Amino acid sequence: MILQVIILASAIMAILMAGTGQIRSNIMFYSFQTLCLALAACFCASIEHQYKHYIIALAIFLVKTIGLSVFLFWLTKRIGAVKDPGLYLPLPIAMHLSVVLLVFAQILSSHLPHLNQLQFLAIGGTAGISLILTGILFMLTRRLAISQVLGFLTMENGIFLFALTQSSGMPLFIEMGIFLDVFVAVMIAGLIIFRIKHSFEHIDVTLLTSLRD
Amino acid sequence: MNIAIYTVSALLIPFLLIGFVQKMKAQFQNRIGAPLLQPVFNIFKLFGKNQIISEDASGLFRAGILINFCCFAFLIWSVPWLNFSPAITNVDIFFFVYLLATARFFSILSALDTGSPFGAFAGSREATISFLVEPAVILCLLALSILAGSSNMERIFSFVSQTQFHNPIVWIFSGIGLFIVALIDLSRMPIDDPTTHLELTMVHEAMTIEASGRNLALSEISYAFKLAITFGLACQCLLHGIYFWLPNNQWIIFALSIVGMFALGLLLAVLETVLVKLKWTKCPDFIAYALTMGLFACIAALGVRA
Repeated sequence: MILQVIILASAIMAILMAGTGQIRSNIMFYSFQTLCLALAACFCASIEHQYKHYIIALAIFLVKTIGLSVFLFWLTKRIGAVKDPGLYLPLPIAMHLSVVLLVFAQILSSHLPHLNQLQFLAIGGTAGISLILTGILFMLTRRLAISQVLGFLTMENGIFLFALTQSSGMPLFIEMGIFLDVFVAVMIAGLIIFRIKHSFEHIDVTLLTSLRD
Repeated sequence: MNIAIYTVSALLIPFLLIGFVQKMKAQFQNRIGAPLLQPVFNIFKLFGKNQIISEDASGLFRAGILINFCCFAFLIWSVPWLNFSPAITNVDIFFFVYLLATARFFSILSALDTGSPFGAFAGSREATISFLVEPAVILCLLALSILAGSSNMERIFSFVSQTQFHNPIVWIFSGIGLFIVALIDLSRMPIDDPTTHLELTMVHEAMTIEASGRNLALSEISYAFKLAITFGLACQCLLHGIYFWLPNNQWIIFALSIVGMFALGLLLAVLETVLVKLKWTKCPDFIAYALTMGLFACIAALGVRA
């Protein structure tokens, strides 16, 4: 029961993240979401007796919950981005749409074959698909480059949660490799955002389609 | 016995709750603050004062305030905002929602009737807020009625032990949703600042700006009743959420309900201390969170019933 609540909480944090345009609150919600993910990995480790999950949970907590959040906070402060005006859809509507996507994820995951023997982990499939869909919606409805990074990270969380609950998790080396990739990707994205800000004086991705030199 | 205790709590708790919130806010700001019973003293003072009514006001002004008061006086007797059964039972959730809407309609009318500019814009803001927040109230209560299989509030909020009935996720989402709704409905901090009397920020205060003497006392009493009803319902939802840890004794749950309401009051005081008022155009973004909580509760309830 507690594990299910924690798994659902991570999906709910992602949905609440889609409802606000304040970059700082977005990063806070992302941080809580990964904290839920780390707790879920801990519970899975104790249920399935797989000690590699403890290491993964620790790595999530250190890299994502603390490391990436602090880095993104620093980045927003440095480039002076406060809030995202949004694109195509008003942000509250995007949040309600992602609740609908949660229902869709539930329907989708109930049609998937259960790879895992543990029935109560089936909700992990729902939450994982919901995280992926919310991440896509987040990237589509945002204007600033830093929000694109957050949406990408949410999608990555979804894939991790799906793998954790539906199979018995990926091998430790692959997980660690993914962590390194994500960490480096965010660092590089941060550098690029910084460069974009430096040369164009804004980080609005919709205005970057026309080339100039 | 039950009715006596219910009457005493219905007459005392709303005013104590307002006094408690004011006292706590004062404490957080390093002031001593007014005594806990100050709202009661205020009302006695207002009843002793002369009333001044605008020359342009028609009878609708007084009638609106009276109807508003009557609606809330009826609601506090019929809505289960404490754990045991009130005097009037068989109140439907839609009846509750529409009685709230009726009260609001008449308070807006009485604000418009005097023809003062402040009353007019406060009425317009109140109407905007109320139609944004109404879907959230209905969804939160609807989730509970899906769970209980009945739209009778007495049935929904009664503490009977059915395992399916006490799904904590649904109740806690509804409770959070109703608490956010209470903040918005009572025009408290993120939407409106009740302490500043800066005319551009007022919603509730500007609606009662033309009332004085007995009329003002009646609007203050209905505001206190509204606070008790909305906070009480939110508190009942949260108590149902932790039902499995509660002892099966009516009086302990009664005490816990009152403690819970004051805890929500403390939370309100903390929120009002740390938050700033939202820009008016940003209010729908905040109200959307209440609607999201209602949607979550509905989905969870449908999932439980399926």
